[in-house]
Amino acid sequence: MERRKLLSRIFEPHPASPGVARYTNAVLRTQNDKEVRFYDDLIRGRQVMVQFMYAECRGACSLTTQRMKRVYSQLKDRMGKDLFFYSITIKPEDDTPAAMKHYAEMNNVDLPGWVFLTGDPEDIKTIRFRLFGMGHPGFDLDDAMHAGMLRILNDNRNSWGMAQAFASDKHILKRISWHDPQKSYAERVIDNRSLQVAIMKDVKKYGYRRDV
Amino acid sequence: MPKNEANDRPEIEEKTEGTISRRTVLKIGAAAGAAGVLAPSVLDPKEALGFQAVTEPVLCVQPSGASPPHHPFVDEFTAPIPADDHPLSPQPQQFANIGAGEAARAPHQRWAQFAPAHFTYELEARAGLHQFHSDYGQSYIWGFNGQYPAPTCLNKYGKSTVVRFRNSLPTTTTTFGRNEITVHLHNGHHGSESDGFAGDFFGTGFFKDNFYPVIYAGLDAFGGNGDPREGQRTQWFHDHRAEFTLNNNVLGLNGIFFIYDEKDPGHENPSAGSLQLPGYYGVTDFPVILVDHRFCPTSGGRTEIVNAAGGDKFIVNGKIQPKLTVRRRKYRFRFLNTGPTQTYDISLIKPDGSVGTMVVVATDGNLLQNPLPVDAGANAGNSNSITAPIVPGAIRVSVAERYDVVIDFTEFAAGSKLYLKENRTMVVGNPSPDPLPPGLNIGNVLLQFNVVNREPWFPKDTPPIPATLTEYPPLTAIDNTWEWQFVRDPACPAGTTPVPPRLFRVRRPFDGPLGCVFDAEHPAHCILKGTTEQWLINNNVGGSAWVHPVHIHFEEFRTEKRFVNGVEVPVWPLMSGRKDVTRMEAGEGALIRMQFRDYVGRYLIHCHNMAHEDAFMMVRWDITDDLAACLAIQQVCNDVQQCVPN
Repeated sequence: MERRKLLSRIFEPHPASPGVARYTNAVLRTQNDKEVRFYDDLIRGRQVMVQFMYAECRGACSLTTQRMKRVYSQLKDRMGKDLFFYSITIKPEDDTPAAMKHYAEMNNVDLPGWVFLTGDPEDIKTIRFRLFGMGHPGFDLDDAMHAGMLRILNDNRNSWGMAQAFASDKHILKRISWHDPQKSYAERVIDNRSLQVAIMKDVKKYGYRRDV
Repeated sequence: MPKNEANDRPEIEEKTEGTISRRTVLKIGAAAGAAGVLAPSVLDPKEALGFQAVTEPVLCVQPSGASPPHHPFVDEFTAPIPADDHPLSPQPQQFANIGAGEAARAPHQRWAQFAPAHFTYELEARAGLHQFHSDYGQSYIWGFNGQYPAPTCLNKYGKSTVVRFRNSLPTTTTTFGRNEITVHLHNGHHGSESDGFAGDFFGTGFFKDNFYPVIYAGLDAFGGNGDPREGQRTQWFHDHRAEFTLNNNVLGLNGIFFIYDEKDPGHENPSAGSLQLPGYYGVTDFPVILVDHRFCPTSGGRTEIVNAAGGDKFIVNGKIQPKLTVRRRKYRFRFLNTGPTQTYDISLIKPDGSVGTMVVVATDGNLLQNPLPVDAGANAGNSNSITAPIVPGAIRVSVAERYDVVIDFTEFAAGSKLYLKENRTMVVGNPSPDPLPPGLNIGNVLLQFNVVNREPWFPKDTPPIPATLTEYPPLTAIDNTWEWQFVRDPACPAGTTPVPPRLFRVRRPFDGPLGCVFDAEHPAHCILKGTTEQWLINNNVGGSAWVHPVHIHFEEFRTEKRFVNGVEVPVWPLMSGRKDVTRMEAGEGALIRMQFRDYVGRYLIHCHNMAHEDAFMMVRWDITDDLAACLAIQQVCNDVQQCVPN
């Protein structure tokens, strides 16, 4: 009962969520060739981290994917339940669901809660624009501009953030945690206690609060 | 249009933009009704007491429309009420009082030296209602003690202070605010555990005691309360929650903090050492807290703040176009721009339409060595409105800058009216009730002064402003140099293209082109405690055409050189004193020198355009006793792959 309540709370979109108006409800295809609607099936009420990539990319994308994989392993318990990773191709013309599946398998990241997405090029352009767009076509429509940053959002809290893909794992984990579902006061009291223990250890070690 | 960055809010609009359907409005109502069902098993203290928050706003249907019209000069201009100094229960302590609900933090530095606190304030962040104009309905705000602007803290050097910042914001909110806070006192000299570090935010139901010893910098070198030449007069506190600073400040989580001492004692009597500047708070000495908002009328008679880029209503001390009755004597006004993004060019307009004289006595709260009169005539050279659009005789105030000015109304006849003018134009919708000076448009007026004769009970005029206000501490020898670049367009090598999103970053010369995203866990620079550094702040990178008011926490700096497109130019008179914000317009650079004294910990340098800092044009630097250990965790930001071959 408690669990059900918790889940219903987590997956409810925030009342002020821009919903389909921002995210679109474009139909995309997963690496398993399943049709999904972008807002209703992938964003609605969820906390997600979005990467843009393409299957043939050998530089930045692979490094980012490897970094995401390490972060994934630390968040395994939440993945596919209340946290999801999406890797969306920016070259949907080349990247069929099979190509995306191949990429996921090659990188050992065909994992629960990590979805690889392709679809109509115009739809993907729109989604990219909406998630990373600066309102500047010169920047936003340039296909070379897809790596480096990870978009983190939580539709349940209507909150947006980002992480630098090349920074430390700790950096990405922390940026994700800043958009975690709202916790109860009781949970936060427990978190506060353990944070204090960690701070005191850190202060003892370095002379000031440095690493936590 | 480098100055006013109307479209300069990529992140925030994304967070909350969008129209809202009738169905969604109904859903909000349903969610409010279901709150009891969803309540967690352990209630936070406020919920347990049945604390009923102010009703949340219904979001605007047309957030892009203009604000409703208003009638000029209806409301009175007043100073925010002073905060109430009272004992705190439980008493503040050096180590976080976790059991009582204090948020986790490092122990207070120099507690034994300056505790117990002489002044103790409690400022509770909570939802409230505020009326920005008599023509308007109430607006939903987040304010300290529910007030907008927050109560003012009036302090004195040598009187240590604890401010207990309590977070009683709504547990869930439908607004664009984020119910987690970390409060920075700009620009206090105190431990980083009390500095409102951007990553140290805490949620509802908790409090945090910020310990401000309220001493002059230079404790270690000078002993006692430090070096009195380091005195700062006008500080302000505001929420600094990473990614949501703009949102929470737009909702109202900021306030002003005055510090007095013998030189500037908060009264006008001829006491020992006093400069006898106009000094009665709220009588002859006023903060002028500037912000711009856009409003929209909603159901239930509310007029809500829209989460918008630049507002179309300029607000001073929480009111739109208010009026102030002034006596024929001198007054002190302390301009503070709380943003969130726009820069003001403020001039004084006399009844004949010409530009009046404002005498600047302090920059960013630091007394100038010699007062600087600013006007469009003989003192035009002192104006800092020196790049387009140039406004003769104006004082340019970018976000977080403070300028304390003295205006002398003695020469104006009773019955005359003067105006504070902003260069941008706001939407008014009604004519001025009084004939305006020639050439003045009602849309440019921030505040109207009505001059009357001094009544016998009103304080007599103060003596002339002394020619020398203070002596600057000498510049100390440089131990290290450092460069910070404020970048938007990375300088990628020819044949390559920078990767997205091309946002706002701080970059060190050895970083990849895009520079650093704010990383709460790693310092971007390490400084040995007690040393002096010379920093080059540079906004001369790539094709950037944006204004960046660069703020450095913890210590004041002196400007040694200024550059435009790499060419040295004279340091503008208003930048010649001590400051903690240096305004970097497109192509500008500054060579500044500062010391890092008395405390260790994590501090910040960031652009104070709140949209930029939320987009992470902000980095952490540390003061440490162990430089090698700190350097070991300093990372190079980015990667050459950030420049992708074409």
